[in-house]
Amino acid sequence: MSSLSNKSAQEISDLLDEYGIKHGPVVETTRNLYEKKLKEAMAKGKRAKPSPDKTYYREEEEEVTYVYRTPTRSEGSGDSGAYVRSRPEWNEKDYQHETSYSSYSKSKPEYSRSNYGNEPDMYDTPSTYRSTYAKSPPMKSGQDVPDAPKSSRLIPLWLQFVFFLAVAAFLYLVFSTMETNEPLKGIK
Amino acid sequence: MSSTSQKHKDFVAEPMGEKPVMALAGIGEVLGKRLEDKGFDKAYVVLGQFLVLKKDEELFRDWLKDTCGANVKQQGDCYGCLKEWCDAFL
Repeated sequence: MSSLSNKSAQEISDLLDEYGIKHGPVVETTRNLYEKKLKEAMAKGKRAKPSPDKTYYREEEEEVTYVYRTPTRSEGSGDSGAYVRSRPEWNEKDYQHETSYSSYSKSKPEYSRSNYGNEPDMYDTPSTYRSTYAKSPPMKSGQDVPDAPKSSRLIPLWLQFVFFLAVAAFLYLVFSTMETNEPLKGIK
Repeated sequence: MSSTSQKHKDFVAEPMGEKPVMALAGIGEVLGKRLEDKGFDKAYVVLGQFLVLKKDEELFRDWLKDTCGANVKQQGDCYGCLKEWCDAFL
């Protein structure tokens, strides 16, 4: 890669356009600044020449896997699936992080809301959000849909599944202990 | 919108003419000296740079930081000052 200072002003201008950096004319006083910006952009490894085919393919792949995953992991992946839909233009990197973060953060409030074992509700709320994932099968149906092993997740899939089951088991325990009414009647 | 300083108000109140670079809001003695050393000895020269950067905030801020080491507040003050001046007189 030839050094930036050897390039002509026009070349610098073209490079800035390729990286999508907004800029004015490349004159003596602005050249330094633009060279710095280009260096930063190159260091970040931004896509200088956007390859639309590649990203498009990736997006489709992403969407497909999320559709598969929804039945097994209900609101967790369902939410991240919605995320996928609404932001198709993101980088793959941002994608992975964002979806795993969103699925993680969204699953928590969902759990706290459905306090004591109204498990069907947990599914209704997300399904009303997104009609695409309207079919929300029961949690314990254990559909082992072939999960496309996307090992590039922040938190591995199996761990999320285990966590989900653990919380569900806990809720079931709590629910079951609350069912005993007889002691109250006895006191009466 | 944050409150503007007296310096800012003074600057945007009239055409800048031959005012020194230190008349700009956010540019004090130290920064002013650094700018002068780089050849930006009058406010209108910095104005020229501001215009060449298409009055873009981010570009101007970056340029100011690189040229004289202005911090975020100083960058903002200078940008705001020049922008308002342009709105009024350009």
